[in-house]
Amino acid sequence: MAERRGATVELREVTKRYGDTVAVDHLSLTAPAGRITVLIGPSGCGKTTSLRMVNRLIEPTSGEILIDGHNVLQEDPTQLRRRIGYVIQQVGLFPHRTIGQNVATVPQLLGWPDARIRARVDELLSLIGFDPARMRDRYPAQLSGGERQRVGVARAMAAEPPLMLMDEPFGAVDPIVRERLQNEFLQLQRTQGITVVFVTHDIDEAIKLGDRVAIMRTGKLVQFAPPAELLAHPADDFVARFVGSDRGLKRLSLLTVGGAELDPPIDPSRLDGAPVLSPAMSLRDALAEMLASETQTGMVRDGDRYLGVLTLSHIGRLLRSEQPK
Amino acid sequence: MTPGEPLIRWDWLLSHAGEIGQRVGEHLELTLIAVAVGFLIAFLLSLAALRVPRLYGPISWTTGILYTIPSLALFALLIPYTGLSLLTAEIGLVSYTLLILIRNIVAGVRGVPAEVREAARGMGYTDRQILWRVELPLALAVIFAGIRIATITTIGLVTVTALIGQGGMGYFILLGIQLFFSTALIVGALGSVILAVLADGSLVLVQRALTPWTHTP
Repeated sequence: MAERRGATVELREVTKRYGDTVAVDHLSLTAPAGRITVLIGPSGCGKTTSLRMVNRLIEPTSGEILIDGHNVLQEDPTQLRRRIGYVIQQVGLFPHRTIGQNVATVPQLLGWPDARIRARVDELLSLIGFDPARMRDRYPAQLSGGERQRVGVARAMAAEPPLMLMDEPFGAVDPIVRERLQNEFLQLQRTQGITVVFVTHDIDEAIKLGDRVAIMRTGKLVQFAPPAELLAHPADDFVARFVGSDRGLKRLSLLTVGGAELDPPIDPSRLDGAPVLSPAMSLRDALAEMLASETQTGMVRDGDRYLGVLTLSHIGRLLRSEQPK
Repeated sequence: MTPGEPLIRWDWLLSHAGEIGQRVGEHLELTLIAVAVGFLIAFLLSLAALRVPRLYGPISWTTGILYTIPSLALFALLIPYTGLSLLTAEIGLVSYTLLILIRNIVAGVRGVPAEVREAARGMGYTDRQILWRVELPLALAVIFAGIRIATITTIGLVTVTALIGQGGMGYFILLGIQLFFSTALIVGALGSVILAVLADGSLVLVQRALTPWTHTP
């Protein structure tokens, strides 16, 4: 929808040392504009340190960090942070300010006129599915964990930053809420066109949200690729183990029924008990439904149109063809 | 007490209503000055201790010593220098507020959740803005708890300052002791307690007005 207004973030040979320990070791990567770049790895791999160096909550020992070509190390850290959205796992809403005031934080710091702040707050509250009139004047303590997390995202987006840094933002909510927040966030990110650098330790989250995923280990970048590529061609055993032995199934969640080859339609009466699948459905969900049915096949329909029949062998063939190695 | 005299002579109360009112005024004034000056000093020392954490030990130790000196002894020590004056009384009273106020200000600020501070910094608050807009507001409840204790303690202590001629409800206690007159004694003691209860209640109301987020449904 919106023109891409996200910034490009480039890390060049960034290193962070604490005494003799190297937390981040010559990390170079580019987070493309308007995309979600996920940093993932086991604890202590340096992903959070890397993220916090971008808004200079941590100062790199050496290397350069560029946002749209400008070296952040030459900017005033406070001014820099006001232009970058920041969301953390524990959210850190201000308990003494209302939801509206929380969202207004950065616009206020930037000295926006009151009317513009009010309009922006209401716009954002609506964007995250809140009724502004009902929620604006509540305090964070009156919200559920999921609602607080939404407000945290809205607060980070308030001043229309070209870049958001998110550190395990959905890590502290239960799985059902997490999935909903992820979906909402994806939608929001796509419409707003913001560049996002996102830290997580959850590989499923990385695959779901990431346009590109950077796998890190002991401060080093091991592989940096789109999720499908990561699942199809893990760079080494570490990555293969990290993405999990079920990576074939995970790849299916990135593919849709519409992308698979189908058998031509047959008489529906011969498909008694077969699940009806839509082209937009993920192959992983389709597979689950097919396995549970008697026929082990699925009838693919796009609304009223009967497109064909999906069989297990089609799914297997697709997986193999996407994996030339 | 003279035999046969009632515990409280109501006619005395009525005829001395004006003086009682005046002593209540003195008592409140002595308390207000002590808590206000004490808070100002405690606040500055707390800011210093928050900025330079290793100052907190010595500050806490010194104010702790001040707190343990018996009030009568402290006044006796000061009289050669400052005489039987308001200043003598206030030096003593202020000293006793410091420990509790500093402890509560520092504890209140340190008790602010780390993630709130982290979020504030990450959004571009300067250190000063974090202190004034985040840490101190969030510490208000704990700071007020300190102000309440300091106020109640001071109201009790002010009765002692009558000994160095500063009036207040202590004046009636002294009068009662000197004349074996129970009415004055009761007016002094009970008056001081009532003042403490009322002051505490008003402070609770002020705190609730200042921290609406702590008591929303």
